[in-house]
Amino acid sequence: MSLLIQHDSDAAALRRGIHRFLFVAALATLALLAAIVVRQGLFRQTTTYSFVTDSAQDIVKGQAVRIAGFRVGAVADVSLKDDGQVVVTMEIDADHMRFVTYDARVELRKEGLVGSPTLEIVPGPDKSRLAAAQARLTFSRAEGLGALANQVRDEFVPILRDIKVITGVLADPQKGLPGTLAQVRASSEALNALLANSNRQVNGIGGAATRVLGKAEEDLSQLGQTLAAANQRLPGLIDRTQQVLDHVEKITAEAEISVPPALREGSAVAADVREIVSGARQAWPIRNFVDAPAPARLKMDSDLRGEAGRAR
Amino acid sequence: MRAKTLLIATLILAGCAAAPNSATSPAEPPRLKAALEAESDGAKRYGRGDYAAAVRRFDEAARIYASIDDMPGAARNRLHLARSELAQGRAEAALLVLESADRGSDAGPTLDTLLLRAQAQLALDRHAAAQQSLAAASGQCAGACPQAASLHLLQARAALAANLAADALAHAEAALKLLQGKDEAAETGNAWRLIAAARLAGGDAGGALPAANAALEIDRQLALPEKIARDWLLIGDIRRKVGAGGTAAAYRRALDVANAAGLADLARQAKEALAANNEVLPERKP
Repeated sequence: MSLLIQHDSDAAALRRGIHRFLFVAALATLALLAAIVVRQGLFRQTTTYSFVTDSAQDIVKGQAVRIAGFRVGAVADVSLKDDGQVVVTMEIDADHMRFVTYDARVELRKEGLVGSPTLEIVPGPDKSRLAAAQARLTFSRAEGLGALANQVRDEFVPILRDIKVITGVLADPQKGLPGTLAQVRASSEALNALLANSNRQVNGIGGAATRVLGKAEEDLSQLGQTLAAANQRLPGLIDRTQQVLDHVEKITAEAEISVPPALREGSAVAADVREIVSGARQAWPIRNFVDAPAPARLKMDSDLRGEAGRAR
Repeated sequence: MRAKTLLIATLILAGCAAAPNSATSPAEPPRLKAALEAESDGAKRYGRGDYAAAVRRFDEAARIYASIDDMPGAARNRLHLARSELAQGRAEAALLVLESADRGSDAGPTLDTLLLRAQAQLALDRHAAAQQSLAAASGQCAGACPQAASLHLLQARAALAANLAADALAHAEAALKLLQGKDEAAETGNAWRLIAAARLAGGDAGGALPAANAALEIDRQLALPEKIARDWLLIGDIRRKVGAGGTAAAYRRALDVANAAGLADLARQAKEALAANNEVLPERKP
């Protein structure tokens, strides 16, 4: 009888243990579920924004939406409208709404040049006004590899064309590099010939100069002899010079009469000089500083030669 | 010597450096400026009595003006050129220049052209042609035009040449009246000379002498040898007509002036007048 009583108390204890275990397990399961729900954001407050684009390329449902590189939401829906446009709806955590200004734009970017595409909300310059819930934002695609390649091609094609033209000109046998080289060769040959000719002439001049110097030496020795002879004859020459000076005095006296007309001739020469100076002034840069005169006006003279006075 | 060379080199460099600096140069284009300078130079030479050089400069100016299609400038310089030719006694050449000036003008001969043409025709004793030119000029000078005095003087010359002494005197006196108070000494002298000649031709030799003296006084002030010599010849004629003394002295003065100025034709006239007055000229030493 006591054995049966012992058995009943063990079974009751076992039952209580099972109950406790089941209760703890249920609590753990509920906690896990709650954690999963919280983790999935079921109790999170979100705000919806949307944008319209021509193509849904690289945009998929669930794609991350970032602000300044931080994930703040995801693409909730991608739908095609009747007019062929694509409407993309995003859900953003309400906590991050403060970063989405009314003039913010959505950019589709790639992580690096070939990485996975992400949507980045770029706030606008006016931070004073935020975008309303369910607002429609503007959208743009960052230039990818294709656009970059097109840009590079646009830049390079004209350069390549120029290179083609330049190489064509250079290769031209008449005007290009071969022709120029031929001309340079011809010029250098002509220069060589000229130099050789000049060399010969300089040699000739050197020989002539030597001969002249020799002749000058001979002349100097003759001059020495002449001076010695002159020294002997000088007294007589001085007497003769005195006579000549007497003649000169006479000539001077006569010149007093004859020189004034010659001076008058000088005025004619002066007139010629004036002409020359006038001509020089025409050609010389200084004329740029001289003002041009006004048109001339000659005074009326109806009888320029006084012919009316006396009957001819 | 070295300093002088340096100075010349500096001047050349300064001139060359300044050449392209057109900012300081006047606004006239170079060819127009050259034409104006040639014209101005010609006028200076004309004023000095260097008519041969004036002819060259006016001809150059006229050609430059024509080359830049400045017809008024070309026509003006052709008139200057014709005037210079007339002053040299080359009336035929002056007429040719005036004809070329007419060809360059669409509006026919101007009043100045007609007056110069009449002047040249009178110098060549083409009296009928001169009358025509003067008639055309009168048509262009109906009112009080600036050339009215010159027109009267030329009409007086034409009348005197046609032995119409009264008409000549009337025109000369009208011209003198118009010239009063004006800075036209040459024309005033011409007017007095014409008055003297007209009075002499009209028999008023007594009235002619003061007029001839007035002309001589003005021509002396203007230092015009040819006119002075002619004035003395006229004074000699008047004195001979009046019968007063000093006739030979007047002719001698004319001869002296003509000889000094190298005016052979006038010297010959003076000698003839002296010979006609029974004056024996002393032998000149060679």
